[in-house]
Amino acid sequence: MNNINTQGESVSRRYFLGRCTGISLGAMSLGLLEQEKLRADAVGLPELPHFAPKAKRVIFLTQSGGPSQIELFDHKPGLMKWAGKELPASVRRGQRLTTMTAGKAQLIMPARTKFTRCGQSGATLGEWMPHLQTVADDLCFIKSMETDQINHAPAMTKFLTGHQLPGRPSVGGWTSYGLGSDNRNLPDYLVLISKMKRPSDQPLYDHYWGSGFLPSKYQGVKLRNAKEPVLYLRDPEGMPRQVRRNMLDGISDLNEIRFDKTGDPEIATRISQYEMAWRMQSSIPDLNDLSDEPESTFELYGADSRRPGTYAANCVQARRLVERGVRFVQLFHPDWDHHSRLSSWCTARCRDTDQASAALVKDLKQRGLLDDTLVIWGGEFGRGVAGQGKWDSPEGGRDHHPRCFTMWMAGGGVKPGMTYGKTDDFSYNVAENPVHVNDLHATILHLLGIDHERFTHRYQGLDFRLTGVEQSRVVKEIIA
Amino acid sequence: MIKENFDSDLYYRYSTMIRFLYSTTILMLIASIANAAEPVKFSRDILPILSDRCFHCHGPDPAHREAELRLDLREDAIKRRDAHAVIVPGNPDESELLKRITSDDEFTLMPPPDAHRKPLTEKQVETFRQWIAEGAKWGRHWSFEKPSRSNLADTNAHPIDAFVLRKLQQEGLSPTPQASPETLLRRLSFDLTGLPPSSEEVQAFTENPNAKEYEQAVDRLLSSPHFGERMAMWWLDAARYSDTDGYQQDSTRNNWPWRDWVIDSFNANKPFDDFTVEQFAGDLLENPTPEQILATCFHRNHMTNGEGGRDPEESRIDYVRDRVNTTGTVFLGLTLECAQCHSHKFDPISHKDYYSLTAFFNSIDETGKAGGSANPYHAYTSPYTERAVTEAEQIVAGRKPLEAAARKQAEAEFEPWLQNKFEQVQQHGFKSWRVLTASELQSVEGTPLRQKDNGTVIAEGTTLFQDDYKFVASVPVKRLTGLRLEVFPHESQTGGKYTQGGNGEFILSDVKLQIRKRGSTQLTDIELDSAVANIEKKVKGRNYGLVKDTLDDDPRNGWTTEGVEEIEVRTAVFALAEPLEIADDEELIFVMLHRSTTGYANIGRFRLSATDQAGEAVRSLQPMPLEQLTDEDAESIASITPETRKRLLSQFLVDHDEYQNVKAALDRANRHLSEVNKMTGNIRVQILKRKDEPRTSHVLVRGVWDKKGDVVTPNVPSAFLSTNSETEPSRLDLAQWIVSPENPLTARVIVNQLWQLCFGEGLVRTPGDFGLQGEQPTHPELLDWLAVEFMESGWDVKHIIKLIVTSQTYQQSSDITPELLERDPENRLLARAPRFRLPSWMIRDAWLKSSGLLNPALGGPPVYPYQPKGVWAEMFMGRFNYNPSPGPSQYRRTVYAFWRRSAAPTFLFDSAQRRVCEVRPRRTNTPLHALTLLNDRTSLEASQFLAQEAFSTKDGFPQRLKFVTDRILSRSLSPQEASIIERKWKHSFNFYSNHPQEAAQLLDVGQLPRTPTDQDAERAAWMVIASMIYNIDEAITHE
Repeated sequence: MNNINTQGESVSRRYFLGRCTGISLGAMSLGLLEQEKLRADAVGLPELPHFAPKAKRVIFLTQSGGPSQIELFDHKPGLMKWAGKELPASVRRGQRLTTMTAGKAQLIMPARTKFTRCGQSGATLGEWMPHLQTVADDLCFIKSMETDQINHAPAMTKFLTGHQLPGRPSVGGWTSYGLGSDNRNLPDYLVLISKMKRPSDQPLYDHYWGSGFLPSKYQGVKLRNAKEPVLYLRDPEGMPRQVRRNMLDGISDLNEIRFDKTGDPEIATRISQYEMAWRMQSSIPDLNDLSDEPESTFELYGADSRRPGTYAANCVQARRLVERGVRFVQLFHPDWDHHSRLSSWCTARCRDTDQASAALVKDLKQRGLLDDTLVIWGGEFGRGVAGQGKWDSPEGGRDHHPRCFTMWMAGGGVKPGMTYGKTDDFSYNVAENPVHVNDLHATILHLLGIDHERFTHRYQGLDFRLTGVEQSRVVKEIIA
Repeated sequence: MIKENFDSDLYYRYSTMIRFLYSTTILMLIASIANAAEPVKFSRDILPILSDRCFHCHGPDPAHREAELRLDLREDAIKRRDAHAVIVPGNPDESELLKRITSDDEFTLMPPPDAHRKPLTEKQVETFRQWIAEGAKWGRHWSFEKPSRSNLADTNAHPIDAFVLRKLQQEGLSPTPQASPETLLRRLSFDLTGLPPSSEEVQAFTENPNAKEYEQAVDRLLSSPHFGERMAMWWLDAARYSDTDGYQQDSTRNNWPWRDWVIDSFNANKPFDDFTVEQFAGDLLENPTPEQILATCFHRNHMTNGEGGRDPEESRIDYVRDRVNTTGTVFLGLTLECAQCHSHKFDPISHKDYYSLTAFFNSIDETGKAGGSANPYHAYTSPYTERAVTEAEQIVAGRKPLEAAARKQAEAEFEPWLQNKFEQVQQHGFKSWRVLTASELQSVEGTPLRQKDNGTVIAEGTTLFQDDYKFVASVPVKRLTGLRLEVFPHESQTGGKYTQGGNGEFILSDVKLQIRKRGSTQLTDIELDSAVANIEKKVKGRNYGLVKDTLDDDPRNGWTTEGVEEIEVRTAVFALAEPLEIADDEELIFVMLHRSTTGYANIGRFRLSATDQAGEAVRSLQPMPLEQLTDEDAESIASITPETRKRLLSQFLVDHDEYQNVKAALDRANRHLSEVNKMTGNIRVQILKRKDEPRTSHVLVRGVWDKKGDVVTPNVPSAFLSTNSETEPSRLDLAQWIVSPENPLTARVIVNQLWQLCFGEGLVRTPGDFGLQGEQPTHPELLDWLAVEFMESGWDVKHIIKLIVTSQTYQQSSDITPELLERDPENRLLARAPRFRLPSWMIRDAWLKSSGLLNPALGGPPVYPYQPKGVWAEMFMGRFNYNPSPGPSQYRRTVYAFWRRSAAPTFLFDSAQRRVCEVRPRRTNTPLHALTLLNDRTSLEASQFLAQEAFSTKDGFPQRLKFVTDRILSRSLSPQEASIIERKWKHSFNFYSNHPQEAAQLLDVGQLPRTPTDQDAERAAWMVIASMIYNIDEAITHE
């Protein structure tokens, strides 16, 4: 079976090229229908990668809502003496606030956490993420992230698609379009969303993992934590596999007759896609079944990993998916939008995610997968240094802040144990080595062996790229 | 006048001509060889290359211009610069341009390698050489010149065919013969109404497949009310119509009367210029009718953002720009949005032009808010609501007797049940709650926990800031419906209260319930949906007090009894959403989280108990009904008090599945009725209304909403129209300019979209971009001819569609030979009809029509077709829930389906996103589409319904099969196809004969419960066959 697949891959690629350059159909030794089926299964663009990739796959741990860099990563001990004082105008420089805090005094609220220097690299991390502290030497922190959107939906859209308005392909969609996947039974790009009890104020729109103007086969497929992990995956009650197989054989036979009559190659694609659907019906439900994982996995990822649908269980799942050759796995954990009560709200999200995020890095490393798997952790923006609500009450929180925030990456050709970029003394502006969201995208593509300037798609007469029209740069300094 | 032109005589002449052409084409082909030395045409051959490779740095945008060179202007290109000129007309070798595009030196080569634009091919270089040699004649981009009719050599030929054949002859190709009558009628029906033909219509036409019958079919379909619905689906995508706002709040809006206005307009064949003017400026017409005002909703269909913290003015600017961008894409075929931040890189639209266009839309009386505050509104009563209300009332009326009968049946079963329970209680008494004994007790942060014999758990020292307790236990009941938590005060705690921390008051922020099989690594979360307590602190909003807030996994709220003076046992009861059957090897895990912001409030002593009593028993703290029965100590059933009897009956009914199913169906009908009732009388539709005090409009620097640059006044781009008007033009003037005969774009752009509806692709394959970066038309003269015809016919949409579908070009077969596929894989020459997958909405509508389920009613409030459970709830974490429409309202056409912007109908794929306007269809082929078509409930119900009809009205395999394929495919099968299906049928029949339960399950897809019959194996086999045929490529394809 494997041999045939390998052969199919190369033949289909050659055939794809043939279609583009006009090689005669008759030059192929295979039957027309077979050729077309193989073409349908072809993956990726022939010109990619542009150069040798450092990362073969990506796990993007998306923290939706905007985690506070001030409590978690960006240690500013000097802020204690500013507690309760107005943020100096020289720092604020009239920058934009949301209408929630605009017009109110911007009184400084120092971090609610103690910080620890961790590992050989001495990275400083807040106490709310004790497990992450244990893998600090494997991580590369970027403390100088910046974006230009201050509200959730536009900022998350920008963070994941490079543009604040919906309609562009997501970074995972671009990757899937460019590189495809190594697995013929699973989609190239899978999305896992933490199951939460609380109604989230920030819906996770499907355009966050959409394909925009790219063909829809490149959109992320959401794996739901439900009896039906992918919509319409389950056959109806009363139709067991043998009946379905019999029916699919009939569809295929009838389609082949139609192919002979009409000569339309799209029919061959249709047959292939129905077969892929059949394979997905068995490969996908298996994914949600973690019962073959040993006890040690759950000990590593924490108690929540035993509960399907949690962030921790999704981290286990992510590791299993990259092991199966899925190119891009994206997790979403909602509800980081702590406008109030940091010590219960922000900590709740830390408890959901800390152990499992750290465990994923450890697990990939011990399996030898970290070298060519890029793990990315971050949200759409950071939080402001001023307290929202009373700065000196436990009820205080923080408003959105796009001018600086922290992310981390691990593996996939990124330097471990490194901190890149600096903010000013107030964690308000970037002081050194700014990394704009578009620069992040350029860097991710670079690690995957793609030159972001050459990776374009023509739509409505324009050549679009993930990084947009403004100049953006690959952050070479963090690449090993 | 035009219509007369199109009488059937002429049609005959056209078709005779075509037949003649078919026979003579071959001869003419041999004669026609591509002409070699054709002169270079600037707009066709040169401008696209200049635009693609040069204009980015040498085009209209001054901000990115290099070397002060413009190649979009001839005078700049031929100007002498020091020792050279970029272009020396007539002298290619002296032209710097030619040197640059052929240079070997990477520093002089153009375009420069670091621009990542492809170098010119040799052929392109030669074209440039020839063009310069021929004098470097300039011209305008083709679509910016007014269209004109070219002379048709043969006035008898159908004009479309004349243009298409001329091109085919040049290319040495011949057209494909006409499609079979079945295919033709099927194609026509889909294109004109979005529905397949009925079996009878197919039969009538195939018996007499002549041109006259064909034309009658065209006329019949054009006058069908389904024509308007089909056209509306096109227009709704272009208009980004949705029933919700989009963005974070995604509130529901009531703009659906505008959708009905669109359908009515197409059905009435409203001239497209009026259609346009009313949508842009119906409110500015003299004495506008309510419908003309309603029409302006077109420009309010954009998304609106109600996210907290959002500046409404920023949103308002977005909406204004959205209107301009939509105008550009839909009517003008211009990517105006490119000029939002800077002047257009390719087309002659400056940054200032863009904002002059926004000025037309800037003075709407709106605030930028969303939800119910998205002014201005139009109070409008829809003529279509009444029918929907009547239908909804009928559904309720139909279901009431079913509910009454089921209730009667259940009540009859209640008496023996009561007798039985009464005896049990008499003999054994009744134990409402059973105390749980922990097999494992843990805390996350380290509080030591131990359990006493009476079940009370003691936390030794509760001084930690926060902690979670985990209580694992086997359950002493077979079925679990609820848990009771008792919190005890004790003298060892602060103030003799509940905890040693803080002030002695506890705060339970959240609880969680899980179940696990002993020895398994996996836990399953169990949903609790109600919590009640004997005492709570009364609070509002997100605060500590109410026990129900322990269910939301939010540590910012939870249960406390702080401030209540009396110190006594605090009791809370948690109910499971669904009763849970528990196996012997399963155990429960109850987690108590103390994660409040203030902390130091961890419970010191508590006890847990379980029950198997459902319903009210676990949703209140009153004694359970059976407990009440025990307490009453009645002598016989007859002496039970009416109140207790009533509570017992309601508890009995909670567990009565058959009754609950029927009741749920009635509940759905009632909910539907109440929603439809809300749409009676005036509803508020978003429309355009002029603001009394107009706003000043500005260029926005780099497109940033609050970076105001120069003041601008309303105007259209100067490249298209020079205005010297004394008065400031209005929205109405803009609308009139759009449909003025002076406008070179609109008629072309719209006929291109009409062509696309019938051919799957336009004559210009970038329907939203007729600018320099867009594609050139495949048949420029045909496009122009149709555009002129469109305008001269009085913008008659039905006339243009009739012209298209009566051409022989349209009527060709879509079969493809390998040679033609290789020669013209994208069918740009139209040597055959296109073959493409139907849009997903048309597939759903075809299921409904062909199965007989379709409810053909027109207009009215949106409906909710089947969609898998939980899709909205997952995205909005329960804020929105999707309730499929009951009864016949389920089987309405897709154009009426409720469209939630952030969660588009799941049963549609490759559909427009309805976020911004879209005019180009998507057509991909993925396994997810296959799964949708196989398993969508509408498709299953259609399969079932059609199969049942075949089974009950026809006898014998061949007749039943014919019935099914006539309906789904509009044709009979070949013996080879029939024998494949017969084999598959037998296989399914054998399976279901041996598995009657599966057969009954498969068939039970309808809205109301179905009673099995003894023919279910055959019926199920037919359902499998119907579903199979619905899934073959042909069934979902425009052939």
